[in-house]
Amino acid sequence: MGELLEVTLRSLYISLSATLLAASWSLPLAYLAARRPGFSLVARAAEALVGVPTVLVGLLLYMLLSRRGPLGFLELLYTPAAIALGEAVLVTPLLVAVGYRVLSTAVAEYGELALSLGASEGQALRLALREALPGLVAAMVMAFSRAVGELGVALMVGGNIRGYTRTLTTAIALEVSKGEFEAAVSLGAVLVGLMLASAAAVYAARRLWEP
Amino acid sequence: MIRLRGVWHRYTSRGRWVLRGADFTVSPGEAVLVVGPNGSGKTTLLKIAGLLLEPSRGLVEAWGEPFWSLPRSGRLRLRRRVVYVHEKPILVRGTVLENIALGLLLRGAPRGEALEAAREAAEALGIPGSLLGERARRLSRGLQQLVAVARALAVKPRVLILDEPFAHLDYRRRRLLAEKLEELRDHGTGVAVASHDTGLAARLADRVVAVEDGGVRPLETPAGG
Repeated sequence: MGELLEVTLRSLYISLSATLLAASWSLPLAYLAARRPGFSLVARAAEALVGVPTVLVGLLLYMLLSRRGPLGFLELLYTPAAIALGEAVLVTPLLVAVGYRVLSTAVAEYGELALSLGASEGQALRLALREALPGLVAAMVMAFSRAVGELGVALMVGGNIRGYTRTLTTAIALEVSKGEFEAAVSLGAVLVGLMLASAAAVYAARRLWEP
Repeated sequence: MIRLRGVWHRYTSRGRWVLRGADFTVSPGEAVLVVGPNGSGKTTLLKIAGLLLEPSRGLVEAWGEPFWSLPRSGRLRLRRRVVYVHEKPILVRGTVLENIALGLLLRGAPRGEALEAAREAAEALGIPGSLLGERARRLSRGLQQLVAVARALAVKPRVLILDEPFAHLDYRRRRLLAEKLEELRDHGTGVAVASHDTGLAARLADRVVAVEDGGVRPLETPAGG
């Protein structure tokens, strides 16, 4: 039970960090894509990469972070930070693509509305961002859900080290490999619970902010 | 007053020309009805006249000044004299009253004054007081449209541009809105209305123009002149 709690908390912590890290670069990128026609290609590329295989991201990151890789000097391989970084990379296309949709609609509609009512361009932008907020929060919860449920990155750059980098998904993989299906199902139930809680959070956010 | 001269517009660099050399004017104390089939460019024309959309080519003059050549401060000053009301009402999160007060709040009016003016605008359009505290986006489409028009009236524009304002309104409210627009026009506001409801709109219009083949063509006025 103690280990289950520890693994659950670690999964939560890593995936939350990954989501916030990804949001820090994805949402500005989505904003640029929504505002400047030259950047809309970024959104198209992100849409194409939403379903990128996690194991491929894990492999690329492994090559970057391994001792002989270009980022090997950071000594991040097989640490929780490496998993968070990998998951952040993984959910970036999702956040950029959804953020772009939300922001481009908000800027077009609410930005124009504010201008038509006599707002300055700065005020118009603030109104558009305010109205886009529920959609952006929903995008972040979706990203968290994808991050917490992925296996490839956590396994390849985390190494599934007990008490250090083991997450819910890598623990499930381990239990299955040992033939401990009951334990794997328990872990799976916790994982599904987390995902359902994320969906409930999106619903609550929408109820709170909209209409 | 707003004057468009030789305006061409397309939305993408290789897209089709929606407007091709259109001329259009809205003067103080005048109501213009804009007609035309769906997709003819009425909304594009009205957004350009509403100083929201910069045309690909041509001149947009607002009170004699070339609008798109002005610095931001000049554009803001002139834009505050014109309000464009979208065909599909765009409402922000919040109550009906907050939505109607939005324009005034964005212009820096104190909250109390803005809400009071919003109440008056709502009353003028027959929006029941019991609805003012409701979430605006939960209203019916017709009432949402009325809220959007009330929001425009609350800022007392010199030129009011409305895109299909009668759609989704019941007959009583259509008449009330037409009477209100007539009253505004009589008090010196320039009014431009795009509408398929040519009955009520034509009655208040001093001029009727048709948007066709990218141009604006005058039609006979309702009075026949």
